[in-house]
Parts: sequence; C-alpha cells; structure tokens
Amino acid sequence: MIDWSHTALTIAVILGSCLTLAGMLIWVERRLLGVWQERYGPNRLGPGGCLQSLADMIKIFTKEDWIPPFADKAVFVITPAIVVITALMSFAVIPIAPNFVVADLNVGVLFFLAMSSLAAYSVIIGGWASNNKFAFLGSLRAIAQLLSYEVFMGISLMGAVILAGSFNLSDIVNAQQHQWFVIPQFLGFLGFFMAGLAEAHRTPFDMPEAEAELVAGYHSEYSGMKFGMFFVGEYLSILLLSAMTVILFFGGWHGPWLPPVVWFGLKMFGFIALIILIRAAWPRFRFDQLLSFGWKVVMPLALINLLVTGGVVLWRAG
Amino acid sequence: MQSLIETLLKKFPEGVLSVDVDTARSEVTVHVAASRILEIARFLHDDPEACFDHITDICSADYPSDQQRFEVIYLLLSLPHGKRIRLKARITEDNPSLDSVTSIWRGAEFLEREVYDMMGIRFTGHPDLRRILLPEDYAEGYPLRKDFPTEGRGWRSQFDFIPRLDEPPVEQIESEVSEADRKVFLLEPNSSSSTRREELLLNMGPQHPSTHGVVRVVLELDGERIVKATPDLGYLHRGVEKLAEGLAYMQIIPHTDRLDYVCAMANNYAYVRAVEKLLDITVPERAEYIRTLVAEMQRILGHLFWLGAQALDIGAMTVFFWTFRERETLLDMFERLCGARLTLNYYRIGGVDSDFTPELVTCLKEFLETFPQKVDEYDSLLASNRIWLGRTKHIAVISGEDAINFGMTGPTLRGSGVSYDVRKLEPYGVYHKVDWDVPVGKNGDTYDRYWIRVEEMRQSARIISQCLDQMPPGPIIADIPQYIPPPKLQVMRDMESLIHHFVIFTQGFKPPKGETYCATEAPKGELGFFIISDGSPRPYRLKIRSPSFIHLGAFDHMARGYLISDIITIFGTYDVVMGECDR
Repeated sequence: MIDWSHTALTIAVILGSCLTLAGMLIWVERRLLGVWQERYGPNRLGPGGCLQSLADMIKIFTKEDWIPPFADKAVFVITPAIVVITALMSFAVIPIAPNFVVADLNVGVLFFLAMSSLAAYSVIIGGWASNNKFAFLGSLRAIAQLLSYEVFMGISLMGAVILAGSFNLSDIVNAQQHQWFVIPQFLGFLGFFMAGLAEAHRTPFDMPEAEAELVAGYHSEYSGMKFGMFFVGEYLSILLLSAMTVILFFGGWHGPWLPPVVWFGLKMFGFIALIILIRAAWPRFRFDQLLSFGWKVVMPLALINLLVTGGVVLWRAG
Repeated sequence: MQSLIETLLKKFPEGVLSVDVDTARSEVTVHVAASRILEIARFLHDDPEACFDHITDICSADYPSDQQRFEVIYLLLSLPHGKRIRLKARITEDNPSLDSVTSIWRGAEFLEREVYDMMGIRFTGHPDLRRILLPEDYAEGYPLRKDFPTEGRGWRSQFDFIPRLDEPPVEQIESEVSEADRKVFLLEPNSSSSTRREELLLNMGPQHPSTHGVVRVVLELDGERIVKATPDLGYLHRGVEKLAEGLAYMQIIPHTDRLDYVCAMANNYAYVRAVEKLLDITVPERAEYIRTLVAEMQRILGHLFWLGAQALDIGAMTVFFWTFRERETLLDMFERLCGARLTLNYYRIGGVDSDFTPELVTCLKEFLETFPQKVDEYDSLLASNRIWLGRTKHIAVISGEDAINFGMTGPTLRGSGVSYDVRKLEPYGVYHKVDWDVPVGKNGDTYDRYWIRVEEMRQSARIISQCLDQMPPGPIIADIPQYIPPPKLQVMRDMESLIHHFVIFTQGFKPPKGETYCATEAPKGELGFFIISDGSPRPYRLKIRSPSFIHLGAFDHMARGYLISDIITIFGTYDVVMGECDR
C-alpha cells in the first residue's frame, strides 16, 4: 500500500514537473536567445514574462483544430500523442535523486533507447499522414536522420554502461560517485550529445523541420493543440536529453553540499542552456552533410570509444 | 566606336539602316532591319573589336501612328571595352515577330518573355515563350501598348478570390500543378521511358517562408536533387512602367521607392540620375557628396538586410538580430534625414531634398567608428564556422562567362571574378574622388558572394567617412528654374519663381525630345532606367532594368543538380527583392 502511494506520488511529481518545465523551457529559451541576440524576448506577462507559456497554451487550445481533408485522419490524430507519450514514458526510468524514480528498471538504458526509437515513428507517420509534399520530404529526412543517429546514440552510451557494469540508470549514477564518466568517456559523451541533438531535432541538426526550406517539415499541416503537442514534445526531448547526459556522464545527482535534486536540476539547466546557445550560434547542416558527418565522424569515434573502453575493462578484470 | 560603326555599315549594308550618335550623352544607337537582327547581334557579340558580351536590357516601345508600329530596343554592353550600344528594330503590327537572340545571350530569355508579355511581340526561336509577369490566362491583351488603358479592362473583377465564409468548406484539394502545366515544368516532358521512374514536382511558394517575397518556383525533383527549377514571377507586378507613362517626371520618384523597398534610396538615385541625364543638368558639388554618401549608407543597409536574411535561411538566427541592430541605427538616421524609414524619398531631380545637419554628421561618425568591428563580429560567427562554409562553398557556382552571358551584375557577377562595377566603369557622384576598392571573388560560389557583400560594407564605410571629410559647403540643389522648383521662400517673394513653381507643379516640366539609358550601381546590381521622352511632361516610355529580374533568369542554370536545402541559399545569394523584380 505504501509502495503504491509512493509510486503514484512520484509519477504525479515527475509528470507535473516535466510538463511544467517543458512549458517554462519555451519561455527560458526565448529569454536566453534574447540575451544573446541583444533583444528582450517575452517580458510582459508575469515577473520577467514567465507566464508567457501559459498565455501561449491558452491561445493554442482555443485555436481552430483543423484536419486537412486530404490527410489520413486516424493516423494524423494519433501522431502528436505518440510524441508526447514516448517522451514522457522515458522519464519513468530517470532517477532524479536516490529512490526518486518511477520505475527503477534493470534495463533502464534499453527502455530509454526503445522509447526514443518509438518517437521516430511519430515523425515518420505524421509526415506521411499529412499527405503534403513538404511534410513528406521532412519525414523522409527524419527517417534517415533518426535511424542513423539512433545507432550512434546506442553505441556511444555503451561505454558508460560497460564502466558501470549495469543497464540500470541508478547503478550508473552510483558508479560515478568518485569520478564522472565524462572523463574516461569524453568521446562517448560527445557522440551521445550530438546524437541526442539530432534525435531532438535541434540546431544544427534540425533538418526534418528546417523552417526555411520545408516550411515546418513533418508537422507543416498540424495546427492548434496538435501542433502544440509536437512543440511540447520537442521541449520534453530537450529535457530528456539533458537529463540523460547528466545521468550517464555527469554524475547524476552527485555533488557536494547541496541536496541531490538541486544538483540534478542545476546540471540539467546547464545543458539546456548549452543546447539553446548552440541554437543561437550555429547555422544548420545540410541534410547530406549531416548524414556523412554522422557515418564518417560520429560512428567511427563511437566505435573506437566502445572498443577501447571494453578492452580496458577486460584488461583490468584480468 | 567610330571604327566599329564603319565596320557595321560596311558588313551589313542592308541590315544597318542608320546610326545615331548622341555625342552629348555619348550614346550610340544603331537602327537595324528587323530581319537581320540576329546576324548583327551575333556579329556584335562575337567580333573581338566589338565584343558586346553583356546584354543589359531589352525594351520595347509602341508608336501607334507609325507604319512600323513597334520598336524593340536592345541595350548591349561590352565589358572588355567598357562601351554601350543600342540596337533598334522596327516591326509592323500585322507581323509582330523578331528572331530571338537567346542563342547569343541566355539572359535574353526572360527579357524577351517580358517584351512578349507587355507588348505582344513574338520571338521566333525562343525556347519558352510564355507570359512572365502577367498570368498565363491573362485575356486583356498587352498592357504596355499605347491603346491599353492604364486602369485595365475589367479583368480583375472576375478573379476567383479566396472562398468566402458562407461557401461550403473545401473538401477536395486538387493537385496544385495541373496536368496541362506539368509539361512546362519538366525537363524532358515527353520521355516517359526515362531512367527516372517518377518525378516529383514541388511547388515552392508563393507562400513560403524563405522565397524572399512572393515568388513561386516549381521544382522538378529526383529525390531531394533538383532536375529543373522554373521560377514563376509576377505576383507583385504593379505595372509601374505603365503607371509612369501617366505621371510627370517628378511624380515618379515616390514610385521608385517601392521597387526595391529594402534600398529605396538607391532606386531614387538611379531614377533621378536618368532624368538629369535626359535634361543635361549638373548637380552642385555638395549635393553630389550627399548623394554618394547616402547611397553608400543605403548599400550598407541593403547588405545588412541581405546578410541577416541569408544567415537566417541557413539557420544562423543570431546574425539576423545583430544585423538588424545596426540597421536600426542607420534607419534612425534616415528618419532624421527624410522622415521615413522604409519608403525613403530624399533625392530630387537636380540635388537632394534637405541638407545634412551637423547632428546627423556626428551620428554618422559615431556609427562609422564602431561599424567595422560589428562587421568583424558577424564574420566571426560565420566565416570561420565549418557548417557555414559547408553550406556556402561550392554551392550555386556560376562561371564568369555564364554570369556575363546571363546579364548578371553587381555582387553576383563580381563573385564570379568579373570586376564590373558601374561606380568604377562610369563614375558618377563623387566615386572618382574617393579612394575605395571593388572586391572581386574567384569561384563564383555562394561563399564568394557572401564575402564580397561583407567586404562591400567595409568599403562603403570607407567611402562615407571620406565623403564626410571632403564635403564642401554650398547649395544642395541645382538652380535651373524651368526644371527644378525654386525654394519655397523665393516663391513667396519673387514673381518669376512663383510662375515656375506653378508651371512645374501643375503641368510638370518639359524635357527635350530624346532618349537615354542611365545605369547606377544599386546594392543588388546594375539598376538602369531607360527613358524615351517625346517632349511632353510625361515620359513616353520608362523601362526599368531591375537586377533581381535578370538574376532570376539564371535561377534554373544555377539550381540544377543541387538539393532543396540549397534552393534557399540560392535565393539568398541573389539578394532578390520581388518589388523590384516584378515592378
């Protein structure tokens, strides 16, 4: 009984904070971009404009929810839900602090990878169901991009798994009590972070929805709250990417003086800011450049990293 | 030039009907027989002594009372010799057709289509003679003919507009390119058995975030690779050339603001210079300095806008906001200068509207102190960024010969290594009195054109600061009462001035009979005005040579083989403004 209520409470807290944070993140991104681009960003609603997302949400809920007559209705409607559900499901295995996790799965890493693979479907079928050439091209790009970067992501985080000797995310965090994995696994971190950016469709890998060329890519035809779901889904995946990076390579909740939750939050915010700074500073890759970068640079590095890590661990074990 | 004319007369005794040499304006016009136009044009292009390798413009004029009603005017430029020539051919109303010169200058393709669209003259041998600015099903005739009313013939009222609210919602949306149209946009319309099994036609625009205005490009795709790109222009066509025929010379100035609305001053300057050339007016020295200076401010403004837009298209959004920061400072100065921020209107025939105040000079000097560092700042975000290099190097390459053949000008031509700048070739204003360089690229790719424009901003800053130092005191507008309205104070006190003022503002001034072409280096390229005056207060024909229009003529050539992502880079690299392109 106690177990039940504990889990329910954790779910409620994590779900609530994820959705709130994703909403706030939109405001944070706009404000931070404003700082770097020498302008204000939203600063009117609430202190410093922090209620902007609330206003956006109200607006987006009251928008006309239009389904194009040429679209495949059932699939078209399901797609946005898949985006948000898969992103939220992944948070189930994220340990925010000791014992503060919804499901402490012993295959947590695999569960995370599975969920991010499922998220790829939303992009693919969303573009397909829209029956629009721009959306179609966007989803074609997305298929190639997500499938490739899925591979690199899996390979580059294996180094951390080998060092910790477990697929359980809490175990991985605990293994970093004395030394963060970013030091022995720097290549792995780079590969994972880049693959994560590609999975979250962030600059410089935001080809599937490159607004300048493909209007809005695979979600061109979506409007109202369905579009809002894609939007929230994207910010959820930024949160997820930062959380996973912190867990796998930056010691999770470990840190002196402050309570674990605060440390986790601070580290996550650091990565969120980094992702936004990348958006502010860099142009966008071209699609073919992105793929050749992935297969010719990230892939070999990740493989070498895996090979060396495995070798060293075996040699030490002896 | 004299020897060339003699050669022409000797070689084509029947072809060349007469030669007019306008020594005052140093312009040469050759009247040729319509049937021999292709031969003579080919000779002028191929002959090393003539070498008219650049087609500047093709213009048409209508003389309803003449037996040979239509006149087609070819404006040619020889880049190696730095000379211009005009060819004129007369054709009758019964058989309005001429040989196409597209086999000599590929840039003539769009120009001839425009002549066909506006005047109804057919060009035999043209590969794709369709309407260009007006819709394909336009049924009212040819608007630049003199018997066509300026307000049109009522076709507009029959448009299918957006479905009204009380109509049932659209249930079925048809394919946006009809079967009949498809063949226009396909590279090999008839080969069903080609190696590609199925081609994809993608309609880019007219409502697309990065086409830089309302233009539509139909792309034939093989995967993401472009097989053929067909620009469809005219969504912003307002008939400025037709409107100008009903306006007095002074009234046309505000219309030129709306051509290239990003660089309104540059259009003002080009037009005003053309009228001054027609009237043979000399502008006071201070006014020349102010004009040059303001034109360079406008160039910086235009290039800043272009840089921001191009960077935004490629995904570097911060550069966009940074360039707009500097643009804001400049726009504030323009606001002080002439009261407007977008449709700037400052140049007047014979000078400028108001004087440069000392506060403005201080403002400008402050701006110039920091501006070179700001340019370095943009450069630091882009020029060393590998993603930026990957997106711009070897993209949309055009060789120097091709660029000339297509009639390109401005940074787009200089990027291909051709050092042609109107400011150096035919110096106007005070460009010959200040020290500056023309940046020239090598590879003809997007990166070179980017580099040239960034470098031009630095050069413009140099020109401005020299102009500020050298600017002499004196009048800012020429004192020629029959053409230029006298100052208000004088009008109120002096009877003669009042009469001139009254005449100019009620009827407009009457320039001498004649015609002239005047080219100006606008930020986008060579902006030229060709004016035919019949001695009345309104131009008989005003032709605008807009660089954007001519650059889009090379779009297909430059886009083939690249990817969809590169299309927006190509749009950006031309720096097109549709207001100027469609006129």
